[in-house]
Amino acid sequence: MLKLLKEIFRTGEATVKYPFAPMPVCKDFRGKPEHKAEDCIACAACTVACPANAIQMETDTAAGSRTWSINYGRCVFCGRCEESCPTGAIRLSDDFELAVGSKADLTRKAVFTLADCACCGKPFAPAKEVDYVARLLSQSARSAEEADRLRLTAATCPACKRAQDVHHIAGMGIARQMEAGLSKTGKPAKELETTP
Amino acid sequence: MNVPVDPKTLVAEMSPVSTSEQIATMKKALLKNIQRSAYVYRVDCGGCNGCEIEIFSSITPVFDAERFGIKVVASPRHADILLFTGAVTRSMRMPALRAYEAAPDPKIVVSYGACGCTGGIFHDLYCVWGGTDNIVPVDVYIPGCPPTPAATIHGFAVALGLLEQKLKAETHVEAAGETAALPHPDIPYALRVRLEREARRMAGYRQGRDIAEEFMALLEGHAHTPGSFSLSERMLEAIGEERDPRRAEIIARLADVVQRAIRGEAPRGEAP
Repeated sequence: MLKLLKEIFRTGEATVKYPFAPMPVCKDFRGKPEHKAEDCIACAACTVACPANAIQMETDTAAGSRTWSINYGRCVFCGRCEESCPTGAIRLSDDFELAVGSKADLTRKAVFTLADCACCGKPFAPAKEVDYVARLLSQSARSAEEADRLRLTAATCPACKRAQDVHHIAGMGIARQMEAGLSKTGKPAKELETTP
Repeated sequence: MNVPVDPKTLVAEMSPVSTSEQIATMKKALLKNIQRSAYVYRVDCGGCNGCEIEIFSSITPVFDAERFGIKVVASPRHADILLFTGAVTRSMRMPALRAYEAAPDPKIVVSYGACGCTGGIFHDLYCVWGGTDNIVPVDVYIPGCPPTPAATIHGFAVALGLLEQKLKAETHVEAAGETAALPHPDIPYALRVRLEREARRMAGYRQGRDIAEEFMALLEGHAHTPGSFSLSERMLEAIGEERDPRRAEIIARLADVVQRAIRGEAPRGEAP
């Protein structure tokens, strides 16, 4: 009996105080994914990475908006969204108290506006993403003209870029044909071989 | 001839279980002054047993849900709370409904785990109903994959009306002129990419990013404070301060990346 009492005093209380005191969590605990919409560029990397499709994005070109949403009820707390986020806008927090009475409270949304293409004027990508990419590219540009060009490239939609490329290549083709014509008339044929 | 098939005719429409107003008032009265233990019956509707393990760890001495009178019982006929786990597979729908019918009214239905709440990672499988609320009316949802024992206790407290729920539905609308800040504008983009790539290669995505962020903060912080230290001395100092040998090695490698970038050499493992 005394031995048992001694053992009880030695062990102390094993039960946590949790509901009455905050629960300490370990380092790198994967709790509720916290989304800072201010830092988010709506690039959809997290929606692609999410294995449970808890994070989803819907693009409404008519309204010019893209809606990001997370369903905490579907989340499996794997942290892939955090890994893939280029701006660190989503981060798994220490919060684990997620129980709710109604299912609607499990979803969180963020609405972003779409930017119009600089060439054709149709909405093609979130404005914040275009702005972020333009600033990132112009940061590493060597000259002011290159920065302007890169900014314009970032603000052009893929279809317009493709059309411009086709136009550009067609122009190159004419130049090459003209060069070939010149080589027939006067210049040596060796130069023709070396041209890419 | 192929006749177009209405897809709705291929899916059996099950009538949802409804509760009468009388039962709703009984439930309110039960929650208002619950003077006794709440008995829990656990219904496994085709889960992976991760949730079950967490339920049982929440009744162990460490979390001890029994100090609040929450006790797991063996029969739904004894239960006040029904705990549905798993993404309601087709074959477990009838047993789940039988357990629901067997429990005496008023009963509280708790949907447990990501699968129970919405179907979780199995939400679009052909053989699941995708969530407890598709077969029975649910009172409380406890998300998590699996919910930790502490989250389980919080969920029970919400179900019994002892604690308020913390989550609320929110919608953020982008403000005019809202821009995302560029991370580390003082560090060249190419160098930042090299540093992040090296750190993530060494320590994995999550910890690698943390280490890279710390390192770049160090780089920037030292650049802004005037001092007589040279860059390599600073790096050596940072490496010397690091207790964890693994982290010290990674920081040494990051320092090497910076030195190589300064000398204009290509990073290791890449052709110049």
